[in-house]
Amino acid sequence: MKTKSGSGHPDRGGATRREFLLGASAAAFAAGVPFVAAGPAVAAAPIELVHWSWLAASDGEVWAKMIAAFNDAHKDKGVQIRMELVPEEQYVTKVLAAAATGKAPDFGWGTAGKAAGMARDEVTVPLDDLAKQVGLDLADFSASSLEAARYPKYDNKLFMVPMDLMSLQPEINLDIAKEAGLDPSKPPQDAKTLLDWALAMTKREGGKVVRSGIMMTGAGVQTTVTWGIIAAQLGFQRASADLKTACVNPDAGKQAMQWVLDLFDKHKVSTRDVTDRYKAFGTGQGGIFWTGPWTLNGYLGQKLNFQTSLFPNVGGALHTYREMGGLELYAQSDKSRYEATLAAVKWLSDNSFLWTTVGRGASPRKSILERPDYKSAGAPWAVRGAFVDGMAFATEGEIPVVAGPDFTIYSGGNFLAKTLDGVWAGQTTIDQAMAQIQEQWQRGLDEG
Amino acid sequence: MTAATTMPDEGAPGLRPTVRAGAGDRRIDAVGYVFVAFFTVPFFLFNILPVFFGIYVSFTRWSIVGTPHWIGLENFTTALHDRWVATAFWNALAYGLIIVPCVTALGLAFALFVNRGYPLSGLARTLFFAPNVVSATVIGLVWVWLLDTQFGLVNHYLGFLGLEAIPWLTSTRWSLVGVSIASVWWDLGLAFVLFLAALQDIPADLTEAALVDGAGRWQRLVFIILPQLRPVLSMIVTLQLISTLRIFSQVYVMTNGGPGGSSSSPIYYIYSVAIVRNLFGYASAIAMLLFVAILVLTLLQRLVLRERS
Repeated sequence: MKTKSGSGHPDRGGATRREFLLGASAAAFAAGVPFVAAGPAVAAAPIELVHWSWLAASDGEVWAKMIAAFNDAHKDKGVQIRMELVPEEQYVTKVLAAAATGKAPDFGWGTAGKAAGMARDEVTVPLDDLAKQVGLDLADFSASSLEAARYPKYDNKLFMVPMDLMSLQPEINLDIAKEAGLDPSKPPQDAKTLLDWALAMTKREGGKVVRSGIMMTGAGVQTTVTWGIIAAQLGFQRASADLKTACVNPDAGKQAMQWVLDLFDKHKVSTRDVTDRYKAFGTGQGGIFWTGPWTLNGYLGQKLNFQTSLFPNVGGALHTYREMGGLELYAQSDKSRYEATLAAVKWLSDNSFLWTTVGRGASPRKSILERPDYKSAGAPWAVRGAFVDGMAFATEGEIPVVAGPDFTIYSGGNFLAKTLDGVWAGQTTIDQAMAQIQEQWQRGLDEG
Repeated sequence: MTAATTMPDEGAPGLRPTVRAGAGDRRIDAVGYVFVAFFTVPFFLFNILPVFFGIYVSFTRWSIVGTPHWIGLENFTTALHDRWVATAFWNALAYGLIIVPCVTALGLAFALFVNRGYPLSGLARTLFFAPNVVSATVIGLVWVWLLDTQFGLVNHYLGFLGLEAIPWLTSTRWSLVGVSIASVWWDLGLAFVLFLAALQDIPADLTEAALVDGAGRWQRLVFIILPQLRPVLSMIVTLQLISTLRIFSQVYVMTNGGPGGSSSSPIYYIYSVAIVRNLFGYASAIAMLLFVAILVLTLLQRLVLRERS
């Protein structure tokens, strides 16, 4: 189960919110155009679009404001959005069940590359033609975000409107850095400096690590995603570009496993005894913690003194984890709803300035990134900047096949995580683990 | 309402009145069926039907959407070769070996203590039963804090005894024990109450007679009390065994089955296969294997603990 826990503090960016709401109101007339144009979207009775969301942390509060802004802007235009919260781990199953009974929500949140099965089963709706109909400016999206929103195995169609781009970057506790005599203006950039920093920030008592230089857990998400990033930097590929061969350059994958093990056992800069990594870093039990932008609101709210830097190049080629959130449309018996739904999604995308400054991640929209106030809005650039700039080398996303969940590196309970957990615990050798991963992944690719 | 009734001869034991059903009786029957339907229809729809549907689905490949695709025994052969299934089932056995004896022994010990009527035994009765009324999820969340390696209360007190902190939930060696501790604490209440009720049902003249004959406390326990408790002991072990094989909430909340599947359980694995990977056919097949395992274990246990006539 994936948990992206912020502490749930409401954002304090009042000025930004007001600016957004003003902008939203100003844009309302133009945004309403699809709903008053002739066509199936025009309905005598008001349309209520049902939206399912699994955003439950501090980002969820910002998203609720986005939906409220849409509803305010369309009060008199015959369309409203009704948002319903669904727990993340049950989300896909509930969408499938709802679709099977013909009662799927109109649209909802998805993660790019994770819904190949839904694309195959026609639960999600291809959007290329609809995008043209509602005037969604695809040219304004980054090429990589559109590529991630497509499924090569399903006619390479667009199945999602990209909303935010996220990556894993190191957050550095500045109090600990200062105590260790480190210069935060020169954060670690390679394997050597990363280890130097980690050693300097680690605190031990009686040979036991009581404060990690690099925040790790003994199992689960943190170790799995770290392995995924370092393996990619060392030249390992989970799947070949044509999605036919699993585990390209397995030796690099093995090397990355050893690198993670060494953090615990050789360098002793991490401890396996951390249960809740978010809480541990927030309470000063770790010096460096690579995590995502979903943590910012929480840590800022609890006044943690930290900065974010770009992921160091440990293995030779700069890579980090990438995740793209987006909105997908679900199959309806009444197909005339699609146009109105995508028009609503277009509005949310066009007005996603608040979402991608205060809410979560970096914007996939060029026009938003180019805005002069993009850097000054939301969280301070010192903590937010790396998550925006770091998207340039955030390459390690999902493998867009039906068995994609088995390949996910940001997971604490999937096949990959469970296999690697055996390595960290000393139950499985590195060679055994790689053989198991190769076998399972190859089977997954063969299934298509 | 009319009913033709022929009375039997007085004093003829075993003879019952012969009742010929009239129209009124049929109406009463119909009303009865309506009342019964309030239970039987939902029971059939939500219990019986899903069981048969689950059996059917276990022979198919299905992910909720679309029609189940018949694949015969493939799910079962896959499950029998799936090391995560094996791990989950071995873990279930380990949970059973830890939780069932602990709950049974502690439940009996507490019940014996309270049954003696010591001062504060009324308070003790409430305290022992209290955890059982709290949901397993809450129990799990509480014990995650208590068993935290670095700031948990349990390790804090172990430190006073000069013992090293134990990674209760973060190591493959201890995670199953950590989950078991929480489960024992949660399950204890029911066993305690059942034992206490059974103890209070033991005729006083039996124990008094043993006392007169010079039987000591230990002898009374072994030769009088425990034999009298055999039926309830059998029931508690059976219920506890089934409950342990179905352990889910604590695993889900406390460890997510980790690290490395070391605390996983069959139900948790079924959940992850069905809900996380959407392989409902495969999940149903594992559920069928679990059903068979529970049936076999229950029958074995009943054989072992069968009441001697």
